[in-house]
Amino acid sequence: MNWSLFFDLTVSGLTLGSLYALIALGYSMVYGILKLLNFAHGDVYMIGAFVGWFALHGLGGPISPDLGAWMVTTLMFLAAMLACGFLGVAIERFAYRPLRDAPRIAPLISALGVSFFLQNSALLLFGAAFRDYDSFDLIGSRTRHVGNVYLATPQILTFAGAIGLMVVLTLVVARTTVGKAMRATSFDREAAAMMGIDVDRVIAVTFFMGSALAGAAGVMFGLVFGQIYHYMGFLAGLKGFTAAVIGGIGSIPGAMLGGLVVGLLESYATGYLPQGSTFQNLYVFAVLITVILVRPSGLLGRAAIRKV
Amino acid sequence: MKRSFLALLVAALAFAATGTGGASTRSPQAAGATLISCGKTRSIGLMAPITGPAASIGTLQGKWAAFYVSRYNRTHKKKFRLVREDTQLGGPNGNAEALKGAQALKGNGKVLGVIGPAGSNEVKGVTSTLKGAGFAFVSGSATNTTLTTDGRRTGYFFRTVPPDAQQSKSVTRYIVNTLKYKRVYIIDDQEAYSTGLADEVEAQLKAAGVTTSRDGVSQQQSDFSALIAKIPRDTQIVYIPWQLAPKAQAFAQQMRQAGKSNIKLMGSDGLFAPEFESISGVYASFFPVQPTDATIKAYSRSHGGNTDYFGAPSYVAGQVVGGAIDRACADGRATRAEVRRQVAKTNLKRTLLGLPVRFTRGGDIRGGVFGIYQSKNGKFTRVA
Repeated sequence: MNWSLFFDLTVSGLTLGSLYALIALGYSMVYGILKLLNFAHGDVYMIGAFVGWFALHGLGGPISPDLGAWMVTTLMFLAAMLACGFLGVAIERFAYRPLRDAPRIAPLISALGVSFFLQNSALLLFGAAFRDYDSFDLIGSRTRHVGNVYLATPQILTFAGAIGLMVVLTLVVARTTVGKAMRATSFDREAAAMMGIDVDRVIAVTFFMGSALAGAAGVMFGLVFGQIYHYMGFLAGLKGFTAAVIGGIGSIPGAMLGGLVVGLLESYATGYLPQGSTFQNLYVFAVLITVILVRPSGLLGRAAIRKV
Repeated sequence: MKRSFLALLVAALAFAATGTGGASTRSPQAAGATLISCGKTRSIGLMAPITGPAASIGTLQGKWAAFYVSRYNRTHKKKFRLVREDTQLGGPNGNAEALKGAQALKGNGKVLGVIGPAGSNEVKGVTSTLKGAGFAFVSGSATNTTLTTDGRRTGYFFRTVPPDAQQSKSVTRYIVNTLKYKRVYIIDDQEAYSTGLADEVEAQLKAAGVTTSRDGVSQQQSDFSALIAKIPRDTQIVYIPWQLAPKAQAFAQQMRQAGKSNIKLMGSDGLFAPEFESISGVYASFFPVQPTDATIKAYSRSHGGNTDYFGAPSYVAGQVVGGAIDRACADGRATRAEVRRQVAKTNLKRTLLGLPVRFTRGGDIRGGVFGIYQSKNGKFTRVA
């Protein structure tokens, strides 16, 4: 057993998995509350990456930032999370809310439309060329190694940041009034409304939080992998959705677990399986199909009880 | 029922005989035989990735082709005009943009010949359309060996750069004889250009007794960390014959993050672009243009001191297409087929490539070789 390779792959898988988990959380939260698959979520993540890039360059750029590197990084996250949060609220208000009582296929088509709208808007506004975060100059000039395990600063930041955000989200949902309202709305929207909960507001807050997490994931992607482009949301969104389904869509811990499982699977497939890097998506989606066949509700999902 | 079936059949036949159907069934000979009035301004198509992931190389090709046209127009009464089509090489839509561009040129009754496309995969993708239009198309960068050997575009496709059969020999010679490396990791980008070149280099390195490992990675991917983890630390050089320089730049950055910056990186001509050049110490193979050539110096003077070498063979492609149009238009009218025949007869005695340009029957430049360059202080310098 080559332990060095194993640890390197694990670090890579956990980093990627953290990003998928953050994206999956957005899918799961929206699905949990509206039973809607928000296919525009991957593109919100892409917009987050661009907002982070513009914030970075507005603050002097990666080589000679106007403020300290960590302050710039923090402001990049804040800008991306706020912008994406409000974008999510706007998407819900204009693309989904008018269709809330329509047949379920209508908001799904609307979600696909919003996805293409965001993608093409980014192409129009930002161009098709790649943009470089140059995180190596900003925060990544030191690679730490413990024994044979190599850890770059952006990787540590991504993993720790994702875990931190997930803990905060869990606490918000479990311990705050807003969280309680979200759980109530998710359980039974009509009953929640009759109990005096402002359902529209709760749904808007859910979109804000889910989209803000996607914005953070976009900045993390730029910091770890360097380059961003208008089409990056498509595959990432698909993987995030896969992670949400594997973990159990609607479940917050399930989304986290699903994300890490998909990230690790991709990484180990690349490292250990024949032509793994070429066919990693084949392996990931094969697992998705297997999980759906064996446990249709996902690893941590609960089967819905339907009264007939 | 029977009547409506008949009506449908008639409608389908009518559709096939006109519009879309009619155009696609027209033979290249017929399409190329349409007489075009040359007039005072003749049109040349330019297919290059002006936007998209490979925009950095497409922009250079566009600049050099425009430089040819502007120089020509200054000294001639009859002028040329470039009709640009953006192929977005390496973009998410695959060859779809290149195909759209080829169809636009096909439908443009004024265009007599084409410079480009840039990528080998694009050349394969648009061959039927450009052949169907009767065009000669001359690429300044598509190097895949089979483009001129599979017989599918003989007499239509030409290139002003040597094929990968030459490139692979130069790369292998440098790794084996100059660097004297024994452990090489090869990663292709799963496109025709890259896999073809990687296959050739791998076979030649193995024959020379070098230990090679092989992998592939999609250019839609941005995370190379797991792939990098697989590369053994005692590897001496990683060979990445890719087309997208930004991806190669990201790969190099992730190699540094993984603590593997001691392993050398070598790209192919597709990576002879600013993004890859910015990484100190990397190698790339490229067509050896002559820095002392008067045309290169004139370009540099008019472009703020930049030489933009990657685009230089597109200048030569412009000379080839422009010269052929000049000869075909001697009587004021020409067909695309005439232009094609004139392209095949090209005989440029001196070019910025440092060698005369004449074509083999397959469309390859005679006597072309590749050089090896290394990035020093952010600039590629020839080392072999």
